[in-house]
Amino acid sequence: MLSVLSLQLFRLQVTERQDLSEIARGNALRNIRVLPARGLVYDRNGTLMVHNASTYTISLAPRYFDRTRIPLLAKHLDVPDSVVTLRLQEAQDHNPYRLYPSFSNVSFEQYSRILEDAYWLPGVGWEIKQRRRYPTNARASHALGYTGEVNREELNSIDQESDSSLYRQGDFLGRTGIERGYEPWLRGIPGVARRWVNVYGLEIMSYAQGQGDQPPRGNYDLHLTLDHRVQEFAESLFVNKRGAVVALDPNDGGIIALVSKPDYPLELLNQGIQSEAWQALVSHDEQPLYNRATMNLMPPGSTWKPFMALLGLSEGLLGEEGPDATIYCNGYHPFGQGRFFRCLNAHGPQNIVTAIQNSCNTFFFELARRMDLEVFKKYANRFGFGVESPTDLREQTAGFIPDSAYFERTGRYWGTGTIMNLGVGQGDMGVTPFQLARYAAALANGGTLYAPHMVSHLVEPETNERVELPDIADPVHLDVDTAYVNLVRKGMRLVMEAGTGRASQIPGISSAGKTGTAQAPGNFIDHSVFIMFAPFDNPQIALAVQCENTGNGSLCAAPIASLLAEMYLKGEITPSWRTDIRMQRALSAISQSLTQAAE
Amino acid sequence: MRRWYRNLDVSTLLIWTALCACGLVAIYSSTHGDAQEFLLNTVQNSFQRQRLWLMISIVALVTILSVPMRLLIRMVPWIYLATIGILILALVIGREVGGARSWVYFGPIGFQSSELAKVGGLLMAAFVLASRRKEKSILPTAIIAAGALGLPALLIILQNDLGTALVFVGLMPVLALCSGVPLRIVGLLILFPIAGYLAILSWPVAWGFTALVGIIAWYGTRSRMWVTAGVIASAMTVGVATFALQHVLQPHQVARIASFSNPEADEYRANVGFHLVQSKAALGSGGWFGLGFRQGTQTQGRYIPEQSTDFVFSVIGEEWGFIGGILVLTLFAALMLRLLWLARAIDHPFGNLVVAGVAGIFLIHVCVNIGMVLGLLPVIGIPLPFLSYGGSALLTNTTLLGLALACYMRRAEFSLYV
Repeated sequence: MLSVLSLQLFRLQVTERQDLSEIARGNALRNIRVLPARGLVYDRNGTLMVHNASTYTISLAPRYFDRTRIPLLAKHLDVPDSVVTLRLQEAQDHNPYRLYPSFSNVSFEQYSRILEDAYWLPGVGWEIKQRRRYPTNARASHALGYTGEVNREELNSIDQESDSSLYRQGDFLGRTGIERGYEPWLRGIPGVARRWVNVYGLEIMSYAQGQGDQPPRGNYDLHLTLDHRVQEFAESLFVNKRGAVVALDPNDGGIIALVSKPDYPLELLNQGIQSEAWQALVSHDEQPLYNRATMNLMPPGSTWKPFMALLGLSEGLLGEEGPDATIYCNGYHPFGQGRFFRCLNAHGPQNIVTAIQNSCNTFFFELARRMDLEVFKKYANRFGFGVESPTDLREQTAGFIPDSAYFERTGRYWGTGTIMNLGVGQGDMGVTPFQLARYAAALANGGTLYAPHMVSHLVEPETNERVELPDIADPVHLDVDTAYVNLVRKGMRLVMEAGTGRASQIPGISSAGKTGTAQAPGNFIDHSVFIMFAPFDNPQIALAVQCENTGNGSLCAAPIASLLAEMYLKGEITPSWRTDIRMQRALSAISQSLTQAAE
Repeated sequence: MRRWYRNLDVSTLLIWTALCACGLVAIYSSTHGDAQEFLLNTVQNSFQRQRLWLMISIVALVTILSVPMRLLIRMVPWIYLATIGILILALVIGREVGGARSWVYFGPIGFQSSELAKVGGLLMAAFVLASRRKEKSILPTAIIAAGALGLPALLIILQNDLGTALVFVGLMPVLALCSGVPLRIVGLLILFPIAGYLAILSWPVAWGFTALVGIIAWYGTRSRMWVTAGVIASAMTVGVATFALQHVLQPHQVARIASFSNPEADEYRANVGFHLVQSKAALGSGGWFGLGFRQGTQTQGRYIPEQSTDFVFSVIGEEWGFIGGILVLTLFAALMLRLLWLARAIDHPFGNLVVAGVAGIFLIHVCVNIGMVLGLLPVIGIPLPFLSYGGSALLTNTTLLGLALACYMRRAEFSLYV
């Protein structure tokens, strides 16, 4: 009898060894995917803006769970017993032998209580996940963007492209902003840890002393060009307002601030948002999810005049005398006999510089009257309007610049008057604050259009490997005479010193700007628009500000832009009577409510 | 004068020591590995408790060796009565552990009454068989002895511990063979379990076996009566077993009995076959030399239920491989051969029967337990002597061994007439 046993022992241990040990390995050896920590995000001064915090998930494997422990688990999780029973049933329906994430976002206290009683809770597993946290006061909702759980279609499409271990059910990926634009860099490549697990699915030891393990790699920290102080200050100035700010470094296109208001706390969306809250965000009248900075289209208003001036100079529309030519303004353009083409004032003879300084409509009506619509579109496109900008932000609209084909298509009557209206930045055209800022930066630096970007460089935290900004388009020159640009800049400087922007001067720093008032259709109050750069001689910041339905450009947009530039250049706001005026104007401006305007 | 311990059989004691050591190593490994922190406190203490029980067992061993043979023989009926008393007590006030109501507690210390009953049962059966007058027929005495074993077996079945009860039944043919019951009757007795086992495995084989029984019976006895008896017994067993499996028993009972032959089948592997799939996987991953002390993944991951008690052999197989498993089997073989050799050296039937009975009990335990671990037999919960964790079993088995050693050591003290 004992020899029969010996023979069977030999059969199992020697002959059938391969098959049987496969079963044992299949049981106990598990490849556990180790996700790299999602990259951190720093602002241009090295201040941490986005990091990760742990959240805890409790999982159940019903086959191994002892049902007499339901009250214990329920007590630790602070839920009624029936909830645990329900979740057990869900897990059972899924797969009774595998851990199924049943309770997500449990608190650290609940998690540690369960860990302490792990002996008594067989079949209970836990998982620690990382969620994004935002330590600064700047929300930067649209610039940073949120992450979301990967969905089934995305999983399928990613799997076809490359590595199937890259994303799994339950993983997060960037949905908007830089979280989306830099997803592969922030995410990195998951590693593998081989672990022996026990019958309850708990890890008990590493396999072969961890020799087969692959650490996660390739996750980079982002260093932004964003300045969190300017961003934060801009957000605080936008109380009671809808609108957007884009501030750029005119020397390389780095985005110093990108604000779109109203916004929302990113924590809300990164927690695995409740559907009611999501519905509220999506259906809100003022559309907080909408990135106004890169997508809001409105006419540029008088901020368009520097562009028209450059067009007119380059195309020789001012005739023989060129830059010195004057056009006489008696308060209106004669084309409409004083009815439709009015000026703010009777400015008298205006040259290109004074026309910008005084924002003389008559001058630019006349320029536009002499202009060909196709040339207009060509120049607008060259300045980055009506086309998408090269950038590392994914969400943007191209804007709209009309040509004759467009007007033919609409079927409406169109003629010289239509074109003249475009000359002062009104009518059938739409530009984004993003495009205006890029244009302001080009005026600041003498005519170079940079690709605006959020990121200056990336750093691999383990190796300190530094990667300069990848895949960013080379700057393009506007192809206009620098002398002409300087004339326009001179006009814009006068705007700040003796024109519509004079109330928004930065104490001690010379600047240049142009106010704009974009007509809003219907009963709506006009939009306030402003472009600016400073300091005049060595520009370090260029801004575009759009405030919806707040009126004249000098009332809301100009003081905000000026305060932000001062904050960026000085690091603080110098108390002075100029500051008082600017603060008072910036804070008291209120966007007309959408429901009110509709009545 | 030779000192009383001069006749002590040291080689048996050495084998016993080796087996106990193997058991302690296996228990230590299954409770002090890398996964120790995942165990219940009570399980973590297994090693320390087993060590304590080993000390108690050694005390019991020395005590038994120092009792004079005459006194021992005189005490047998009282021991038996006490045994029956404890079994009844367990039924009345016992505590239920693992489905069997066989535990009696004296303060904090608990005994598994069904284990202890083996000592009383064996002693009483040997006592009855040895007190037969030479001129009287063996059969009536044998029936009384069978009754002496059957009563505790019945009580243990009532306690719902079928595995231990089977040991008592299995002991009957062993004692019968040693006490001069004719071979043909013994053969008839062991016919039933073999036929039943084959009927579970496959019915054509079982019917083939029935035919073989007829042929052997004819050549062995040349008697039509015995051939008929043998064939009818075998055929009845096969028929009843087949019928019961197909029509009488509930599916879950059938599954429990029949799953051992094919535990990997989809309908079994998650429930009744789970023990066996995991046990076989443990043995297979052990290979020739094993994965090493505290390195077995099945053991450390606790994939095998009851791994330190009934399935302790799979721990040895996984961590020490085929070499370790064969070593344990060899130690058991040596123990039993040595015990049979000792039995032959004793002239008196009582000593003879006790020593042979002890060897028989060990043989049954080893075959049924290891047969179960290796997937040859249905999962019947009886421990592996000296290796499985369990204080009562260790104490009982050491006591039994002590009785065998005492009978051999004091073989000169037996009077011709008891």
